[in-house]
Amino acid sequence: MIKQTLLGLAVTVIPMLAAAHSKSEATTPANGATVSDVSELSMRFDDPMRIISVTLISPDGNIDIERETGMDPATEFRAMPVEALEPGSYRFDWRGMASDGHPMQGSFSFTVAE
Amino acid sequence: MTGLAPIDGLVVLAILAKAIDYGAALLAIGGVLFSIIFSQRAEASVLRLARQLAVGAALVGLAVLAVRFGIRAARISGMGLDGAIDPMMLGFVWESPLGTAAIWRGMGELAILTVLIPRIGRWIALAGSLAVAISFAQVGHSLGAPRAPLAILLALHLLAAAFWVGALLPLHRAARTPAGGDLLHYFGNAAAFGVAVLIVAGVALAWLLAGSAAALWGTAYGAALLAKVGLVSALLGLAALNKVRLVPAFRVGSPSATTALRRSISIEMLAVVLILLATATLTTVTTPPVNL
Repeated sequence: MIKQTLLGLAVTVIPMLAAAHSKSEATTPANGATVSDVSELSMRFDDPMRIISVTLISPDGNIDIERETGMDPATEFRAMPVEALEPGSYRFDWRGMASDGHPMQGSFSFTVAE
Repeated sequence: MTGLAPIDGLVVLAILAKAIDYGAALLAIGGVLFSIIFSQRAEASVLRLARQLAVGAALVGLAVLAVRFGIRAARISGMGLDGAIDPMMLGFVWESPLGTAAIWRGMGELAILTVLIPRIGRWIALAGSLAVAISFAQVGHSLGAPRAPLAILLALHLLAAAFWVGALLPLHRAARTPAGGDLLHYFGNAAAFGVAVLIVAGVALAWLLAGSAAALWGTAYGAALLAKVGLVSALLGLAALNKVRLVPAFRVGSPSATTALRRSISIEMLAVVLILLATATLTTVTTPPVNL
């Protein structure tokens, strides 16, 4: 029964900003936004978060980004695309660890318009 | 359903390892408590089983603690299983509250091994048991506010659960011979007090972490907590049946009572396994409503 409940829980959950420990998380670009250019990718947390891995994904594959924020816990994370982003849809995925030790992960998506 | 983290293979592995960690800690603490509390009432073979159980569980606990470090390193790394042996990721885990908790739990479980040493050993093991209980308050949402009440309630909840869980196997053994009747009866009386502590501390913890009863509906935390409470209620029902019906029948020598009592204790053990899985799920992939 537990297995079914778990499975049910897993299925009903839409991909979301699973940043449970950071209620006021805001991102640049905002999740779901359409923007004309992206000079920086940033996230804010209300509690220091150690961001460990980040990936920017486009339909064509992974895009190179340069981290400005290192791996030390921080309330603000910043990174820049190495080259200007082509028009299209993008998803930013991250993994890390909250200050209470919980592994955390999340993502946000945006579209670059022509 | 809000407050549910994504679930992948590593998360399932993390839940299983955590459930084993919980079980090992409860059995290790419980074995020590049993051998101290019932030292005058239990037969030598039953007491020996309790001590062996404590030592075996402490060894499993130490091993699974190392495994959990690797799993957590893999989860934060984004590299899959390769992250489990990455020195930098392991370093991050070590620096995190899990590192602090691991020191308390590891030292406690090592101390529990001394329960095999006559006389002084069990008091060292008792101190180790307290360290293991305290270790759980060094990580996760029990670090939130109000810190001291959360830590004390969690340690009490665990000690009471351990007293019960650690006693099941020794009692199962004691129920083989009629001489175990007095022990079973005495345990039932002590457990009634233990269960009260377990429930009061558990409800208080849930209240502090959920914030309100309404927060239990529509949140992943609430769903997992209600599943756990359902399983615990079933376990309490069985325990009550044992205390009120089966143990008295066993004491007057009813032949069918022996089988029924031992089967009932076995089902209790199964219920405990399910409760630990529900608890590990609760603490791994859900967020307490107060933190949403």
